[in-house]
Amino acid sequence: MATAAVTPGSAGGNGHGSVAVPDGGGVMRRLNIGTGIVSGVIVAAIFWAIFRPLLHSPWADDAVVNLTFLGWAIGFMVGIGAFTGPLRWAGGRDLTFEDREYMAGRGQGRSRYFKFCTDHKVVGWQYLVLGMTTLGIGGVMAMIIRTQLSRPDNHIVTPQAYNAIVGLHGIIMILSLSIIVTGPFGNFIMPMMIGARGMAFPRLNALSFWLLFAGVIVLLSAFFLGGIPTGWNVYAPLSLQGPAGMDAYLMGILLWALSSGIAAVNMIVTAITMRTKGMNWGRTPIFVWGVMATMVLSLLFFPAFQAAMVLLGLDRSIGTSFYDPNGGGSQWLYQNLFWLFGHPEVYIVLLPGAIAILEIAPVFARKPLFSHRVAVLGIVGITTLSALVWAHHMFTTGWAPALNGPFMLTTELISIPTGLLFLVILGTIWRGRIWTTVSMLFVYSFLWNFVIGGVTGVYLGDVPLNYQLHGSLFVTAHFHYTLIGGGLMGFFAAFYYWFPKMSGRMLNEFLGKVSFWLIQIGFNVVFLAMFFVGMQGQPRRVADYAPRFATGNGIATLGAYILGAGMLVFLWNVIVTVRRGEVAIGNPWGGKTLEWRTTTPVPLDDFAELPVVVSDPYTYGEPEPQPVPAIAGAAGAPGTAPPGPNPAASSGEAPS
Amino acid sequence: MADPPDTVEKDASASRIHVRRAVLLWVVITVLGIVFALFVPSRVFPFQASSDATRITATFIAFTVLGAAVAAVVWAVAAYTLWAFRSGSGGPPESDGPSVRRHIRAEAAWITVSSILTLVAIVWGLAALSSVSSAASSDALIVNVTGQQWVWSYSYPDEHVNSPDLVLPVGREVVFRVTSKDVVHSFWIPSFGIKVDANPAEVTQTRTTPTVPGLYEVRCAELCGLYHSYMESQVKVLTRSGFEAWVKANGGKVEP
Amino acid sequence: MRTKLLVGALVTVVVGAAVVVAAILVLRAGAINQPLLTAQVRGTAQTSQGVLPHAFLNLDTWPDSMAGPHGPSGGPHPGWVTYGPSMNLSVPAHSLVTITVHQYDSGEALLNPFFAKVRGTVGDRATLNGKPYSEINYQHTAHTFTARGIPSATQPSLFINVPLPPTADDAPAVVKVNGTMYPKPNVIVFSFVTGDPGRYVFNCEFPCGIGYQGFAGPMSTLGYMAGTLQVAG
Repeated sequence: MATAAVTPGSAGGNGHGSVAVPDGGGVMRRLNIGTGIVSGVIVAAIFWAIFRPLLHSPWADDAVVNLTFLGWAIGFMVGIGAFTGPLRWAGGRDLTFEDREYMAGRGQGRSRYFKFCTDHKVVGWQYLVLGMTTLGIGGVMAMIIRTQLSRPDNHIVTPQAYNAIVGLHGIIMILSLSIIVTGPFGNFIMPMMIGARGMAFPRLNALSFWLLFAGVIVLLSAFFLGGIPTGWNVYAPLSLQGPAGMDAYLMGILLWALSSGIAAVNMIVTAITMRTKGMNWGRTPIFVWGVMATMVLSLLFFPAFQAAMVLLGLDRSIGTSFYDPNGGGSQWLYQNLFWLFGHPEVYIVLLPGAIAILEIAPVFARKPLFSHRVAVLGIVGITTLSALVWAHHMFTTGWAPALNGPFMLTTELISIPTGLLFLVILGTIWRGRIWTTVSMLFVYSFLWNFVIGGVTGVYLGDVPLNYQLHGSLFVTAHFHYTLIGGGLMGFFAAFYYWFPKMSGRMLNEFLGKVSFWLIQIGFNVVFLAMFFVGMQGQPRRVADYAPRFATGNGIATLGAYILGAGMLVFLWNVIVTVRRGEVAIGNPWGGKTLEWRTTTPVPLDDFAELPVVVSDPYTYGEPEPQPVPAIAGAAGAPGTAPPGPNPAASSGEAPS
Repeated sequence: MADPPDTVEKDASASRIHVRRAVLLWVVITVLGIVFALFVPSRVFPFQASSDATRITATFIAFTVLGAAVAAVVWAVAAYTLWAFRSGSGGPPESDGPSVRRHIRAEAAWITVSSILTLVAIVWGLAALSSVSSAASSDALIVNVTGQQWVWSYSYPDEHVNSPDLVLPVGREVVFRVTSKDVVHSFWIPSFGIKVDANPAEVTQTRTTPTVPGLYEVRCAELCGLYHSYMESQVKVLTRSGFEAWVKANGGKVEP
Repeated sequence: MRTKLLVGALVTVVVGAAVVVAAILVLRAGAINQPLLTAQVRGTAQTSQGVLPHAFLNLDTWPDSMAGPHGPSGGPHPGWVTYGPSMNLSVPAHSLVTITVHQYDSGEALLNPFFAKVRGTVGDRATLNGKPYSEINYQHTAHTFTARGIPSATQPSLFINVPLPPTADDAPAVVKVNGTMYPKPNVIVFSFVTGDPGRYVFNCEFPCGIGYQGFAGPMSTLGYMAGTLQVAG
């Protein structure tokens, strides 16, 4: 389409759709997800063939499964080209500039989404598709669970299959939710938000995604290996009895944790070092703070989970007894390691969604973010306290009754910084000019849902009340209200807000509203009913129950179907939009963060000219502090041609 | 660039009206929440057959009253903004809202109130915890509870009786010494409001005093494998003489 | 335009539902399907609750899967212990049910001596090769038949536990079943009275599986050492 030539390597070179594929690349030209999978399967088969006859211990089966998964991961990562750069460097010839351009996806059209690509926007898309796929898989399992529970004495699936599915649903959803905001928006949007031309370590960025992909494949293979019949927390010593699905779990987690650590380092360094000129901490958008806090939690606490999994792997594969009481091991060791990660993980899921709400509310209320400082205080407070509350998951375990009091204290204290986030949102929308886009509707549903999740958290933090409610469906309802009501509603708000920037197309508002109401109503029906049966005394993770729980369960199942329908309407909306949605202008919402100052579709180098910041991005109702680079196609000025020497050069960016 | 005085005044009075209406809405939602708290939870909870269960229900109601007031703030403000400040056209708002970046009094009030409420919850919890953790009386009945995939079994060391069902005398304190032969189970009697995990190679303890004779259930509350769903047994709370008769009928001996 | 969008949305929902159904079918296909084994009523019997129909049921316990319900080659796990001929049992309500178990396996110690005692049968007794017993040595037990359900207002409580004495470790293999030689089985007979209809489950409490505490493998897989007991109206 475009004719303007772009000098390779010029800082302002934007776009690549029209540019000839650069000369570089070498072997990378032939590597993609297909070669990765083929090579992963081959190496896995080789590992299996080598170790199967070699090992004869009573634990040989699990050892071989774990080694086979290791083979898959190594083979896949090599096959997709994750180590091309380091290998070339080790061989004495580093990647050339052209090679790196190739790696960033210049001029490759859609195929770059299936490659080891260092463009943060491509990685953002990859995370989005992976996260939505796993969310869908976990959702299918949720539907199976609720169908089985629709009435007592139901035989849709056996108790064995039910147990296998419950754990798999749990861990897949936890994984999905923990990447669903920071993955797509942390990668695609966050660098632009701070006025950067990418991530600090682009190759680590691609590495973190493809490690996760390899891990997700391992984790999903559990479905065919007996599932995860232990609940998502995989408590020992039950996990020592579990089928090979346990090995898929622990290897999947190890890869996920590795990926998270790499992503965390990358994002933290990016946020600290790559903010554009003038963006001091006070002017840094709140979403960046939220992503950073999340990444700090990932970096600090995933290692505890990794350690727990390594020990579990040793117990299962070579017969150590870290968790086997017969050999002096302790289930409490596992529980402590697990929850040391597990509770911060809740905030890893929740914070990005909640902070996206904080970022979006000012735009659709047309008011500055209320008290940036209180918001930061809330984020820092939650992050700090979340590290000190893990044993509230262990009040009933008998591990350390003397610590129940102190852990109750820290747990209840966390409601103060959490409350601050509510203050900020309410203060922002109060007397604003509320523009009820679908995105804003999800801000409101967040307020409705998350306050229920928060208040019921106070109940569970109370030790005597916890003795009654722990292990019941009340807990299940509570954490779904925080993780879906908080985290996922935040994702939806963010998705409707940022998808036009990512895809270049506007989501359909009508379908958006239909799916919003189905989701919001369905969600509340399921989990309010679940609070109800939990209070009645129905335990979690049961495939069958006494007839007195029948009413609540029937209602919950009905709600689950409505929720599922809402999710599918959302999916349909995405499909319709990607295929033939209305073309988005550069800044459809009138947002003031920097990502809205570049063109849509976003050029390869993000900004033709790096913006300079003189205030925070919440200057609603205030005079613009000083002229800034023109905003392409701001709301109210539709059709404004994007500036820059090469307006059309960026077409082809959107996978439409 | 100060606004003309009359605009400021109009603005201030409009603001007062908004605040007053939102407060009214808050009161309405809070009252509804309190009514809910007083009437619903105590009926939804399982029949309360021990002192602990009664206390837990009271805590639940108290927290629901406080929680209703807190949630009502969020819901009232949210609902009110949606109703009063919504931009009519459906399109982007024509103008921006007021540039309010801080409101020291609102922030201070929010932090103070939320801290006080949290403190109330903590003090309430610590007080309840200390009464739960106090020492058992010397004449308490001892019951050894054993969880095994996927059956509970009970033994009475002083009475020399074993049973697949839990049988207890009313009005006498009972101490459960809970352990497991294999994986982690959780010993839960919903009607008594007690729960403690059954751990392999460890003995954990909980206790309560049944207050009402009747038939209740023991649940396993920690996923323990294939038939976790069916790991449930009965609790029969009998009169003291009924309990003694049961012990004798099962070949045990009753201490004088 | 809106109609078109809604039709598309509806189609998506239908496709999504189909995916859920397909996933359920995959799970069901993976489960072991065994036929319902129904107790045969033959005459009546005098019980403590008056004269009731008398139903009979035969079960086996095998040290491997070569002779049980898992096919001639032993199914996917020929080495696993198993009950047979089916783990889906149905007995009539308000009846005396007599179960005869042919027990082919040797034994070791139970994890919990509690299950060495006969409970919930008529007289809290069973017979071994015709001789009554109420308890066996817990350190020398082959398997147990342990049944119970979820107590509720609508179904009577039921708890049956019968320890199954083992064959001798050095017993000669003299019986040929499905081409595999087994020792002469112990014949254990016990009876219990059923009440209103209900659904119960049963499993073995002897750690005869693999892995931690012997409860992995056949102990944790439906159709081997765990099954259902339905009291049908």
